[in-house]
Amino acid sequence: MIEFVNVTKRYSNGTVALKDVNLKINKGDFAFVVGSSGSGKSTLIKMILKEEDATQGEVFVNGYSVSTMSRKQIPFLRRSLGIVFQDFRLLPNKTVYENVAFAMQITEAMPRDIRRQVPMALALVGLSRKANVYPGQMSGGEQQRVALARALVNNPCLLVADEPTGNLDPETSWEIMKLLSEVNSRGTTVVVATHEKSIVDSMKKRVIAIDKGVIVRDQEKGLYGYEDKDNQLYN
Amino acid sequence: MKIRTTSYIIKEGLVNSYRNKLMSLASIVIVAASLFIFGIFVVITINLGQLTKDLEEQPQLRVICQYDLDDSQVQLIEDSIRQNGKIDQFTRISKQDAFNKVKEMFAENAGLLEGLDESFLPVKFHIKLKNGSEGAAVSEELKKIEGVKKVDYPKEIFESISRLSYWVRMASITLIAILLIIAMFIISNTIKLTVFARRKEISIMKYIGATDWFIRWPFIIEGVIIGMLGALVAFGSLGLLFKALMEVFARDLVSLSFGQLKLIGVSDIWGQLISLCMLIGCSVGAIGSVISIRKYLNV
Repeated sequence: MIEFVNVTKRYSNGTVALKDVNLKINKGDFAFVVGSSGSGKSTLIKMILKEEDATQGEVFVNGYSVSTMSRKQIPFLRRSLGIVFQDFRLLPNKTVYENVAFAMQITEAMPRDIRRQVPMALALVGLSRKANVYPGQMSGGEQQRVALARALVNNPCLLVADEPTGNLDPETSWEIMKLLSEVNSRGTTVVVATHEKSIVDSMKKRVIAIDKGVIVRDQEKGLYGYEDKDNQLYN
Repeated sequence: MKIRTTSYIIKEGLVNSYRNKLMSLASIVIVAASLFIFGIFVVITINLGQLTKDLEEQPQLRVICQYDLDDSQVQLIEDSIRQNGKIDQFTRISKQDAFNKVKEMFAENAGLLEGLDESFLPVKFHIKLKNGSEGAAVSEELKKIEGVKKVDYPKEIFESISRLSYWVRMASITLIAILLIIAMFIISNTIKLTVFARRKEISIMKYIGATDWFIRWPFIIEGVIIGMLGALVAFGSLGLLFKALMEVFARDLVSLSFGQLKLIGVSDIWGQLISLCMLIGCSVGAIGSVISIRKYLNV
C-alpha cells in the first residue's frame, strides 16, 4: 500500500528532513506516525501526497510510483486516497453536503452516485442531520468529521490523516480517532500523524516514531514512547 | 470532458465574474477601449487599402492633345499609343465626350457655358499601364509624340497614399499590439483577484484530486466573459461612431474630394469586425486567466 525505499529528503535550504527511510505499510493496517515538530513526520505525509518529492529513493503509494510519476497523474494519485488535515480545509461557502459532494464532482462522478454516496458518508460520521449547515456554523469536531466524510466518500483504500486532532479538545479527539479506527475496521488502510500521546498509548496500534528524519522505532501495538519523550512531549 | 463538468465550469465562471463585478467592469472597459481603437484602425486601414485600389483603377496616365488637331492627327497619336507595348489599355475621350462631362458638372449653372462648344477642349487619352511602376518612363515616351500637349502622371498622389497607408498600417499594428498586451495584463490582474480570493479553495481542490484543467477552466470562462463583453461594447460604440461620421462625411467631404470613391464603414464589414473583436477579446481574456492562475496550481 505504502512503501518508502531508501528515501532521503533534503530541502533547498539544506535541511535534511528524512534520512534513508525504509517503511512499509500494508493493506488494512492502522499506523500512527509520531514525532516532534521538525522530526520529518509532516514531510513523510507530504511525500505520500506528492506534495514534496524525494531527493533520493523511491515512494510507492496505492500502486503508483510516486517518485517518478508525472505532474499530470498527481490528481489521480490523490483521488485514490482520502486526506484529512489538522485545519479541516473545508470550503466555507459550500454546505456540508456540497463539501462532501464536491470531492465526487471533481472526479466527474455520476450525479446518481453522488446522491447515493454523500448521505452514506455523512451517516458514517454521524452528521446526516447537518447536511445543509455551513462549516462556519459548526464546532471543530464536527468540521473534522465533515472532512473525514469528504475523504471517505470516494471509497479510497487508503486514508491519510495529518494531525487530525491537532485543533480539537481531548474528548472530540477521541471521537475522531474512534471514527478512524472504525474506518480501518472496514478494511481501509489508515495512516495518522499525531502528537496525542494518550490516544496512541491506549489504542495499541502500530506506531512509527520518527526523530530527526530517522525512523527510531516501529512496533506493532506500540506506545507513544517514553525514551524519546523529552524530544516530543511538549510539542 | 463530461457535460455536467462543463456546466459546473460555466456556472463557476459566471458566478466568479459576478462576485468580482467592479474589477470585471474595469477590465471590460479596458478591453472595450483597446478594441475600440483597434476597430478604428482596422476601418481606416481598410479604407486606405480600398482607396489605393480605386486609384489603381483610375487611368494612370492622361495624355492631353493640343487643341487644334484634326482627326487624322489625333488618329496618328492613337496609333502610336496602340503600338506602345507597355500600355495595357486606353480610352479616347473625344472633344464631345469631354464637353458632355463639363456640361454635367455645370448642370446647375448651364448659363456659364452658353455660346461655347466643344472646340475649346482638347482630345484626351486615358491610359492604363501593364505595369504601374513604369509610369514615369511611359510618360516620357508619350510626351515625344507630335501633337501631345502634356502627359499627366498623378504618381505623387498615388505614391503618397500608398506610403500613408503603409505607415498607418504599421502604426496601427504597433499600437494595437501594445493595447492588447495592456488589456491582457489588466484581465489577468482581475482574474488574479479572484484566484487570490480563492487560493485556499484551489489548494483544497488540488488536495482532493482535482485536475489542473478542472480548476483552470472556470477562470478561463471568467476571462472569456470579460473579453467578450468588452468586444461587444467596443463593437457597439464603433458602429455608432462610424454611423455618425459617415452621415457627416457622405454629405460634405466625401462627395467633394473623392468624387466617385466609396468609403467603407463599420456597417459594410460588421461581420468580420465583430468576429475579429470577439476572437481577440476572448483570447486575450483566456490567456490573461491562464497567466494569473499558473502560480497557484503548483501544490
